[in-house]
Amino acid sequence: MLKEDFVIQSTIRRTLIRNNVDYTEITFGTVRGVVYFRGRFKLAQLYTDGTKENALEFTTRSLHSLERKIKSIPGVSDVVFEFFNWEKEKGKWVPKDLKEDRSK
Amino acid sequence: MGSKGFERGPFKVKWFPIYQRILSEIEREIKIHPNYADLQNQCGLLLTVKGNRKEAESYFLEALRINPRYREAVLNLGHLYIGMERWSKAEAVFLTESKKHPKDGFLRHVLATLYVQTGRFKEAAYQFQKALQHYPSYRGPYKKIGIWQGGKIFLNEKVKRESRKIAPNHHQAQFHNLIGLFLAKRGKMAQAIRELRKAAELEPNEFLFHANLGTVYYYRGDFQKAVEEYKAALRIDPSYGMGHANLSYVYGLIHRTGKALQHLEKAVRLSPGYADLHYNLALLYSDRRRDEEAISELKKALRINPNYLFARVNLGVLYEDQEKWKEARREYRKVLQITPEDQQLRKRLERIS
Repeated sequence: MLKEDFVIQSTIRRTLIRNNVDYTEITFGTVRGVVYFRGRFKLAQLYTDGTKENALEFTTRSLHSLERKIKSIPGVSDVVFEFFNWEKEKGKWVPKDLKEDRSK
Repeated sequence: MGSKGFERGPFKVKWFPIYQRILSEIEREIKIHPNYADLQNQCGLLLTVKGNRKEAESYFLEALRINPRYREAVLNLGHLYIGMERWSKAEAVFLTESKKHPKDGFLRHVLATLYVQTGRFKEAAYQFQKALQHYPSYRGPYKKIGIWQGGKIFLNEKVKRESRKIAPNHHQAQFHNLIGLFLAKRGKMAQAIRELRKAAELEPNEFLFHANLGTVYYYRGDFQKAVEEYKAALRIDPSYGMGHANLSYVYGLIHRTGKALQHLEKAVRLSPGYADLHYNLALLYSDRRRDEEAISELKKALRINPNYLFARVNLGVLYEDQEKWKEARREYRKVLQITPEDQQLRKRLERIS
């Protein structure tokens, strides 16, 4: 099993690019196989019909896909996402502004 | 849309519809962000190659009004004047820039070719000498053209002919580079590589084109070619710190961490102000159990950016390894003040409290 943090870190960088993630507002780090993300999650390009619902659905799918790919990197034991605008709730990705709206 | 209605002058570029689409897109962007100098410069470059030089000039001038230090726009404007044979304007642009950067061999080289074209051979020889003094790598190309013969500058009609290609080659190369980057951003890697290759063929001594090719190959997953291009860029400019960093990331992906370490150490030496480089170097040291060096790099990263949370977590883990519990707890607590919801870290802190 691969356990080198630097190799994991290099793989994450490329995974973000390949998954159309604009990582200018995201920082990420690797600590003994645990991967940390922090910042604002944004896609470099949205492939949607232009409606807000469609954009949300597309971003949610992209987040799930990214999460799956990061977890499948050899040597990754856990992933901690600390996005300012998205969070995981009962296994689902939810935009934070939507969550705040619901709680009002 | 074709190039109908435009005289493209010395450029050997077929105006494909994709170029027009990119130009229209940039023009739309300018309407939204009129104060972005890079958009103005890009538009000027596309219009230059399209043959609309007068309009191109106004875009370059606008880019420089927004940002007077914008080197690319200065070079594009200067080359545009050379192309238009407005010699005194071109000379003024490059002389002013050369005074600001007296050790920039490229500016000396352009000035020299400008003097050759206007028959001022004595001044040309002086500038060629200066170019060689600052950029010895020019010796090869100069020998090929015949400027450098037997350790002396030699100017003749062939040099004059070759000098006429400088301005169009500059614009055309920059143009293909711009199109290449644009296509890469849209995920059209094969087309992007074709464009960037054209740029590198026109100006083989421009490190940026090789660096960009390296990045596109890296995006595409062609790691061996990415290594070759980054190495080509570094042969031209060994002081390009980020080139060494990018090369180390590619080596990381192909598990050649020894090579990665070698290049990241160089990157940090050349660009010591980037916290991210120190952090990645710390990971490499830590992976090799060179903990003291890793700690030192993490501290440097944190001096540059005290909010670099992951650097702090890594530092805490290394202190834990060394059984420096107090120091480890201190680092974890600092992180938890900012991210109290981090359960992974809370568990780590509880374990050593």
